[in-house]
Amino acid sequence: MSQPAAALEVVHAPPFAPGHSNLVRVHVWEWPVRLTHWLNVLALLVLSATGIYLGHPFLVVPGPAGQRFVMGTVRLVHFYSAIVFTLSVLSRIAWMFLGNKYSRWDKFLPVARLRREGLWPTLKFYLFGQRKPPGFVGHNPLAGLAYTLIFALFLLQIATGLALYSASCHLGSPLKIFQFLVPLLGGLQVARLIHHIVMWLLLGFGVHHVYSAVLMSMVEPTATMESIFSGYKFVPEEDLVYSGYRYIDRKTDAGG
Amino acid sequence: MSHLVIDPVTRIEGHLRVEAEVEGGAVANAWSSSTMFRGIELILKGRDPRDAWAFTQRICGVCTTVHAIASIRAVEKAIGAVPPTNARLLRNLIMASQMVHDHVVHFYHLHALDWVDVVSALKADPAATSQLAQSISDWPLSSSRYFAAVKDRLQGFVDRGQLGPFANAYWGHSAYRLPPEANLMAVAHYLEALDWQREFIKIHAVLGGKNPHLQSFLVGGMATPVDPDRQASINLGSVAALRQLVAQARDFVNKVYIPDLMAVASFYKDWAGYGAGVGNYLVYGEYPEGDEPNASLFLPSGVIWGRDLSRVASFDPTKINEFITHSWYQYSGGDSEGRHPFDGETQPHYTGPEPPYERLNTDGKYSWLKSPRYEGKPMEVGPLSRMLVAYARGHQRVQELVNGTLNQLGVGPAALFSTLGRVAARGIETVVLAEKLDGWLDELADNMGRGELAIHDNSKWDPSTWPKDATGAGFHEAPRGALGHWVHIKDGVIANYQCVVPSTWNAGPRDASGQRGPYEEALVGNPVADPAQPLELLRTLHSFDPCLACGVHVVDARRRTLAEVKVS
Amino acid sequence: MNPRPDWLLSELERRGVSRRDFLGFCGVMASVLALPKSAGAAIAKAIATTEKPTLVWLEFQDCAGNTESFLRAGRPTAADIILDVLSVDYHETIMAAAGKQAEEALHKVLAEKGGQFLAVVEGSIPTGANGAYCTIGGRSALSIAREVCGQAAATIAIGTCAAFGGIPAASPNPTGALSVADAVPGLKNLINLPACPANAENLAALVVYYLTFHRWPALDSYRRPLFAYGKAIHDNCERRAHFDAGQYVELWGDEGHRTGYCLYKMGCKGPVTYQNCPSVGWNGGTNWPIGCGHPCLGCAEPEFWDRMTPFYRHLPNVPGFGLQTSVDRVGLWATAGVAAAFATHGLVQIGKRLARGVPPSEERADSKGGQR
Repeated sequence: MSQPAAALEVVHAPPFAPGHSNLVRVHVWEWPVRLTHWLNVLALLVLSATGIYLGHPFLVVPGPAGQRFVMGTVRLVHFYSAIVFTLSVLSRIAWMFLGNKYSRWDKFLPVARLRREGLWPTLKFYLFGQRKPPGFVGHNPLAGLAYTLIFALFLLQIATGLALYSASCHLGSPLKIFQFLVPLLGGLQVARLIHHIVMWLLLGFGVHHVYSAVLMSMVEPTATMESIFSGYKFVPEEDLVYSGYRYIDRKTDAGG
Repeated sequence: MSHLVIDPVTRIEGHLRVEAEVEGGAVANAWSSSTMFRGIELILKGRDPRDAWAFTQRICGVCTTVHAIASIRAVEKAIGAVPPTNARLLRNLIMASQMVHDHVVHFYHLHALDWVDVVSALKADPAATSQLAQSISDWPLSSSRYFAAVKDRLQGFVDRGQLGPFANAYWGHSAYRLPPEANLMAVAHYLEALDWQREFIKIHAVLGGKNPHLQSFLVGGMATPVDPDRQASINLGSVAALRQLVAQARDFVNKVYIPDLMAVASFYKDWAGYGAGVGNYLVYGEYPEGDEPNASLFLPSGVIWGRDLSRVASFDPTKINEFITHSWYQYSGGDSEGRHPFDGETQPHYTGPEPPYERLNTDGKYSWLKSPRYEGKPMEVGPLSRMLVAYARGHQRVQELVNGTLNQLGVGPAALFSTLGRVAARGIETVVLAEKLDGWLDELADNMGRGELAIHDNSKWDPSTWPKDATGAGFHEAPRGALGHWVHIKDGVIANYQCVVPSTWNAGPRDASGQRGPYEEALVGNPVADPAQPLELLRTLHSFDPCLACGVHVVDARRRTLAEVKVS
Repeated sequence: MNPRPDWLLSELERRGVSRRDFLGFCGVMASVLALPKSAGAAIAKAIATTEKPTLVWLEFQDCAGNTESFLRAGRPTAADIILDVLSVDYHETIMAAAGKQAEEALHKVLAEKGGQFLAVVEGSIPTGANGAYCTIGGRSALSIAREVCGQAAATIAIGTCAAFGGIPAASPNPTGALSVADAVPGLKNLINLPACPANAENLAALVVYYLTFHRWPALDSYRRPLFAYGKAIHDNCERRAHFDAGQYVELWGDEGHRTGYCLYKMGCKGPVTYQNCPSVGWNGGTNWPIGCGHPCLGCAEPEFWDRMTPFYRHLPNVPGFGLQTSVDRVGLWATAGVAAAFATHGLVQIGKRLARGVPPSEERADSKGGQR
């Protein structure tokens, strides 16, 4: 297993829960998870900004065409960011099979009974039906599902982007092979439309994501916000059970 | 009595079928049927009115400018856009060059073979042909060696047994009356006209990017920038190129087309006695000479009733109604009502025989065309109508040319109302317009010189500037006659679109009161020497220059779905 | 050697076309086809020594635009030769015979040249109302297409209507119009030459390709010859430098428009359309739509009447949002709406907490218990 059991240690964290329960410091987000997360953020911001310019080139550029390359530069930045984004997304997907239990694929698809059962309480919490969030350490099952959708959007965005790029990349480009996507998507114009729609969906998600993270940091003692920088969360002991731990023997409890 | 069917009628645009009863060597009764339907107005519903011109343009690829023009005019009227002077001039140039091109192509490639026996040309003496050609024109391609080469080429066709488009026609028919030399000359000019039309139409490539289906139209103006100091605009270099094309066109029209037309006509003067048709003529008028909405038109509008040239009534668009008594459509008010295009409705309702069929039921519905009527009467539209109205309204150049032509042929004005009259009117119109093109080019150059470069009314481009609910009608004179588009725009999109097109006026079937359409009426009395080879019928039909794709889409965009279409 | 290799050349000379002109034409054809210069001679030999192939041109739900285009081929004398190279035995718009005689001409081709002739189809094929939306000689377009194309050595679907259904098939497709490929499935050697209309130069090049190599050209996934549809208009456009620079037409007739700036912002579909318009041009290379200042409509692409419209906008409509609303406008407002909603929610939460004066962990502790 990639994560040693030593990652778990019980700490007493008075600022969070004085007199209530032990808080356990858990190494949740490994560095590849954090790195790809921040690469995604950066790439998506650059891609959206350049993408909006590609769709609506509002600048009026004076001077001889041959000596100006504004749109060209913006496209170039867009393409390079797209490469970063694609590699980052693919790496994260690979890490779903390589990383610790919090980053694994089964945290995205609720195949396990415990996670399926966790869906409803989580939804109830979100709908203000209960005050306490069910105590999952990593992604809760509902968030996992939402991230599955986001990854699907990532992949769709990458596919439409590659289809559009394949339409005009140079002959030697290995990306030329993605031309096969064009008819599958319903033509370049449809690919364009999907590319725009997905961008807006992702931007909308981004707004929600940042807000929820901030909010959950306030509601929960787990240091949700800090965790994406540090990798560690502080989890009440009893919640570890909820996340699929058998919190009996810390030494043997490394898997998930 | 024999019943004859011509289907397909060839050398036309579109799909036309004619059935006729022949008695005693002449047509006793005739039915004209359009056998294709696309439903373009239905397709237009819910779309951006600024796109409509491109859709309607595809109604016809032969008269490839006309539905675009009528469409942008209708939309401009509805939203209140006013194209600037340059746009008007560019449009006039495009429309008139379309007319010149279309008329020449019609004469040589769609109509000539009704009068010219290609096989007889093989018997011609090239030297005598040369003499004949030189006696009627100073066109340089007239040496005996030239005609000998054409004859050899034709002989090659025949010898190889691959006659291509000339195969299996009516060669040797008794109704062909030209001497072999005139036939050879006409064949030579048929081939020259094929070259000529390719060159002349470059005028459309300059002004519209390409032909067919030029692409420079815009609601509110034109997309072709005008600027004497820019290379990506129409500048004086382009004007010079256009001028040269116009000069070449005028040369060909005056030295080849008109002399040929007169030569052919002189052998077929009896055709001034056939094909008279309904005798009512309708013209919307064309070529605005100013930018204001009621600017005078170079070819005036008007209505002539019962061949009476002494009076011209003014055209009133509210008097147009369409009937579907004999058309494969239904009206909510029953089969006998007539409807104005603004509140027209059409529900396709095919009741004809299931294909394959031998005969149509001409007592019932028998065409995809509706029957437009003006004040309830069938009207002929087209070059003859235009020339008659211009003549009766005192258009000086038209009067000169009409009188000159009648004198040269030695016939009276009554000869105009005929198959031959249509052919002659088309030629006269070509001359008038070929002469007019230079004037518009001058005006365009003048504007450039004065720094007047506007090509578009940008104030109405954005849909937010449009009224919530607007209607507009756009009128145009297409080569084949009066064309109208009616559009209803609601919330920035097309709510309803209607076209009433020249070939609907001319080729439409009978109406509620049983009045024949112009084709049908014109065919009655036509001689038919051999019902198996109905060459004479083709002469009269082709004299109208049928353009059936124009007529076969007339369906209301507002009403029911096609789920109700039944097949009997 | 062919027994009569020179009939064409002698005919050319009679037409005033020198051997030199003809070879020049073949050179041009070689370049249209993106062949090496030396191929010109091979083409000339092929044209001069090959039996005139028979061609049957069928028109269904069409506007005759492709026929007209065919008659406009760019280099007049050369195009004339193409007419001579082929024996056009059936073509309603130009043939002398009509009615029964015309039908006989078609039957003769089927009877004598079955499996050897070329079929060109112009216009879509309606399937609604049992074929009554288009009949010729009382027969439905569909039955004619099946019979004729089924016996042809190859079928060329010319124009977007025949290739992809075109305007009659545009939503809501009132007549059930289909492309040739869909109406007559399983045709061998079906080649699509879309565009509205197709450029005559490309038809000429296709025929010359066949006569030269006795096979059909490489096609893309839409069965379009790569020699004519292998590159996006945008990548070959004379205004591309202005696109990359960031110089666009903003208003019809503005300085950028007159100077020849890029039409991208006026809805040009050049970036998503494959055709050789920029290099071959129209009407003998005189001009092309973007050259005259109007954006590309995307006419060589499948379903362009639905996908490329509105023509003056970058993106197609989003169903359900109204025609005059762009997806980017919807997206911008939706994102702003989401942000506003969360901002409100957050402010309310913070406000509530401040009012109660409890830290978050206290609240958590209150609800401890349940939910397992």
